[in-house]
Amino acid sequence: MASVGKWVKQLKTKEDQKLAWMLLDKVIYLSETETKKILLHQNAALMENLRKATLKPNKLIYVSTDDAGSSSPMMLSMIRNAARLEQRGCKFLDSRDAFGINRVTKKLQEGAIIYIDDFVGSGDQFERSRTFLTQSVVGNFSEFILVPSICEEGYAKLNGMGVTVYSGHIHAKAERPLHQHSHLMHSAGRERLIEICKDIRPNKSLGYDGMATMVVLYRNSPNSIPAILRGSDKQAPFYGLFPRFKDLPLNQ
Amino acid sequence: MPTLKPSHTEVAQIVPSGQLRRLGVEEIKPSASNPRLLFDTPQLAELKKNIAEHGVLVPITVYQPKGQQKFSILDGERRYKCVLDLTNEGHTGKDGKPVKIPANIVEPPTMIAGLLYMFSIHNFREQWELMPTALSLKIVMEELGTTDNFALSKLTGLSERQIERCKSLLNFPERFQKLSLDPDPATRIPSNFWIEALPVLDLAMETAEKTKTLGRDGATDKLVEKYRNKKIKSVIHFRRIMESYDLSEDDPALRAKVVRRIDQFFLNPKTETREAFDEFSVEKKRVQNAIGACEGFLAQLKRFKLKYTADDEERNTLRGALREVRDYCDSLEQALAGGDDPEVPHD
Repeated sequence: MASVGKWVKQLKTKEDQKLAWMLLDKVIYLSETETKKILLHQNAALMENLRKATLKPNKLIYVSTDDAGSSSPMMLSMIRNAARLEQRGCKFLDSRDAFGINRVTKKLQEGAIIYIDDFVGSGDQFERSRTFLTQSVVGNFSEFILVPSICEEGYAKLNGMGVTVYSGHIHAKAERPLHQHSHLMHSAGRERLIEICKDIRPNKSLGYDGMATMVVLYRNSPNSIPAILRGSDKQAPFYGLFPRFKDLPLNQ
Repeated sequence: MPTLKPSHTEVAQIVPSGQLRRLGVEEIKPSASNPRLLFDTPQLAELKKNIAEHGVLVPITVYQPKGQQKFSILDGERRYKCVLDLTNEGHTGKDGKPVKIPANIVEPPTMIAGLLYMFSIHNFREQWELMPTALSLKIVMEELGTTDNFALSKLTGLSERQIERCKSLLNFPERFQKLSLDPDPATRIPSNFWIEALPVLDLAMETAEKTKTLGRDGATDKLVEKYRNKKIKSVIHFRRIMESYDLSEDDPALRAKVVRRIDQFFLNPKTETREAFDEFSVEKKRVQNAIGACEGFLAQLKRFKLKYTADDEERNTLRGALREVRDYCDSLEQALAGGDDPEVPHD
């Protein structure tokens, strides 16, 4: 990771550097310890609620919602081990395994499907995975998602779908200095930072769907963070403090 | 006790009676993938207008899965959708409050009842990927102990043709079925591939000696490989193989050549379907002759002025003959239907 000082000095003027420091101050970083703590805490609360609803652990299906090697399976693996879910009889599946989902839900006939991820932005990606998965579900299953942080846009979307969210943090638009609905930064400063972001990444300068999110995860950054934090593609000419894996040059 | 709902077919008998309440839209969970919402926008607009004026008059049916706060919809997705839209648009009821939906709250349906109900919706989406439907149909067949197409059609609301297509899919081992459950449309093998490939595999296993040595699964692997390598550009091209075989019926030398070509098609990954079989079925006249025969038949029937035939015996005999023609025409028309997966681009 690049040093903060060097990152800031990529900006030519003192004014721009000051704005970058202000933006950096609003980054919400979720460490591995914190992520684990949130997931475990929320999972315990969810399991307790499900227990009261007479759903035992062997009726719970934990589902990762993304490709192997990406965040969701990692989160699933983390909670599986830390909460000893396997020993308690819980089931584990990948949302792409339609056959497995069909087989397990047929066997259980009722229960809960618990999706796991580290971050939900707009909820679009989650919706795609879930729509595919639900085609193969048979029986009566309530749906939940365990996620350390979720944007308010994603929260509204998932709530509309009827997926109950268990999260440690709902990332409001107001918490994102470069979001049009935020007043964390004076408008001239915000406009200047947006301009810088556009120079770095002309497309999606404020991240996916212009969300300009500020949550950064210990494993990777969401695709919804502003370009100034993420950096250019292949990290040149502007390198970011929080690049995504796919942004890195091949030799790193 | 289950009650009969008048607005649906036998399928709706699974909807039980329950407790009536008025629910806000925020208390209701929409169905994950109800296709009717995608199709009938004009009717939906009409329903919405009606609900805006009079409210929801017919209660929806909902149930509450264990552990879930919201009620899941068993029947009434369109009414819910209209009220949701109206609420989002700021529409209120006569009391100035958001419109509420009368809902019959019932016990969660059993797995089989839930499946049968979903089938009554799924039959609206023939162009959707068929494999999940086939897997659900398999459960219905196992649970109810019937494989009869007519009985299954009555139970599920699927047409007998759809049921036959699902059964074709279930003929393949799980590892092949999984290929149609790939979430990525670009790499997914469409269900129609298996349906069109099935008679070709049957034929190859029966006639093509070299292909037989691969075994059925081995031969299926070869077809999948060819499809992925674009050597089968459209699943409909499988019909060229069947057509070539059928047309060679009266010519033993030609038949032997077709069978050799089938072996070559399976064993040589580079052989493309049309390249291999077009020479056996380039004769377009057959279809043109058949179209001419249809037109001639219709014109002739009309000329006979049969509509007011009075003699009982004649009428019954004629009706029997017409039924025979209709049944054959129906089966031929259905056999000619089909196409590639709409989501997968082809050359």
